[in-house]
Amino acid sequence: MEEKLSREELLHVADLARIKLTEEEIEKYQVQLKKLLEDVEKINEVKGYDDEILIACWDDNTKLRKDEEGVMLDPKQVIENAPHHAGNYIEVPVVIGESEGA
Amino acid sequence: MTNYIPTVGVEVHVELKTKTKIFSDARNGYGQMANSLTNVVDLGYPGTLPTLNEEVIMLAIRAATILNCNIQRVMHFDRKNYFYPDIPKNFQITQNDTPIGYDGYVEITKENGETKKIFIEEMHIEEDTCKSAHRKDKTLLDFNRAGVPLIEIVTKPCMTSGEEVKLYLEKLRELLSFGDISDCKIEEGSMRADVNVSIRKNERDPLGVKAEIKNIGSISNAKLGVEKEIERQAKLYDNGETFKPQTRRFDDKIGDTVLMRIKETGNDYRYFPEPDIPFVILTDEMIEEAKKGIPMLPDERRRIYVEKGVLEANANKLVQNRTISDFFNTLLEEKTDFKIASNMLLGDISAYLNREEKELNETTLTKERFLELVKFYQEGTITSKNLKEMLDMILESDKTIADIMKEQGIENITDDSEIRNVIKDIIQKNPESVSDFKNGHDRAIKFLMGQVMKETKGKANPRLANDILLEELKS
Repeated sequence: MEEKLSREELLHVADLARIKLTEEEIEKYQVQLKKLLEDVEKINEVKGYDDEILIACWDDNTKLRKDEEGVMLDPKQVIENAPHHAGNYIEVPVVIGESEGA
Repeated sequence: MTNYIPTVGVEVHVELKTKTKIFSDARNGYGQMANSLTNVVDLGYPGTLPTLNEEVIMLAIRAATILNCNIQRVMHFDRKNYFYPDIPKNFQITQNDTPIGYDGYVEITKENGETKKIFIEEMHIEEDTCKSAHRKDKTLLDFNRAGVPLIEIVTKPCMTSGEEVKLYLEKLRELLSFGDISDCKIEEGSMRADVNVSIRKNERDPLGVKAEIKNIGSISNAKLGVEKEIERQAKLYDNGETFKPQTRRFDDKIGDTVLMRIKETGNDYRYFPEPDIPFVILTDEMIEEAKKGIPMLPDERRRIYVEKGVLEANANKLVQNRTISDFFNTLLEEKTDFKIASNMLLGDISAYLNREEKELNETTLTKERFLELVKFYQEGTITSKNLKEMLDMILESDKTIADIMKEQGIENITDDSEIRNVIKDIIQKNPESVSDFKNGHDRAIKFLMGQVMKETKGKANPRLANDILLEELKS
């Protein structure tokens, strides 16, 4: 087995995480991440392991909340707790052309 | 028309009509001050946990039923991971593995009367993101929308034209709004459509390169966007060019699609099961309960209206306005003239509603008063002219129709003998017109009717007067 993650894979992960890495860090993380993945692989060795345990490890299913309104936050608090705001909006740097969710 | 076969699939997001958000008990509302409808869960604060809203599950079951989907009995949620300011916890909770509905369809009817099933691959539940407004040098975020419950409905790539996309979206909007699942207001973003378009030369060829069109602001733009995109791709292929998979958006101002970005690589969302929400197991009882809440759907409404004697075109128009249609439904058990009732609702009453920018349920019209009105009209006690004069009072006061007539001095003569006496008198005074009539000059009857109305100061019931006049002339 390879001792480190390929450079491409590592850079892809860094790209997804939106972080810039130095050459030194790339070298270091290739090894460290590989080790991490190997450790996680060990789970597969457990007998009777079921993937479902990852979703919920208890038997108490279907926990639903009634559709009733609770207490909301004071908008002033919300925006003041953000690093930057403009009026009642939270302000962030422009990010266009990235993937948007829903 | 081009020489290519277009293939179109549609993804629609609709916001569910719940009181609170999907994973928090903050209010699900629109048009409020920015960031006033949130709590720590919606803002993705560390240590907060989602609690699933029961009503979301019920509405989603209802939607799956209406869209003829199979229902997933054991579901879980998944995390879709990505970094973007619209979701500060860096993942969206959605259903990737176990969508609540799958393998459904809706039926559209084309202009030539032909029907086509639009197949639904799956529909899943997810949370909406916050709303971002891009300015020149900054992006502004409003979290009121964050955590609003959504269902995403994904069709198979089974449509072949902009027209089919339009019909599908119209049908979907009609079903989901009549099902009380969503208010489906495209202009407010509670229904949003993305379409995927590709073209190919032959049925047997693999599907062509795909372009996704986002940000479509209306159903007519969806149609136009698809048509323009088919044209654009055909032109490229005709010139021997190719293109990369891409995301485009529809630009209202130029009425065409414009490039947003090339999709260099496939998305990498690293889905994994959401460990903070236990399995959701749908029991027979839950499914039955959810189905019970489904109101009468548009196709059934149209069928019943026509059965009751409403013209087909009018049945369609009634269904186009939910509050009018709901009102009409309350009459169905009554003995009344449904044709007159539908004409009144769609004619003078609709004109009033449009003018005043009101919904029918915002007026004072009740079933009882409306039935009274239809009865008077049918008997000829009031004429269409009277109706116009009385309309404001009918829709703005609680007075009975009879009282309004009295107040407005509308007293039509419906007494046979009274009208007959007037008519006999007029016939005697106008022997020339009578002989004109007998010689086949139909115009004479108009003159005589005019005399009757003049004599009675317009109060004779016109239909009755006309009948009696003919009777007397022929005797």
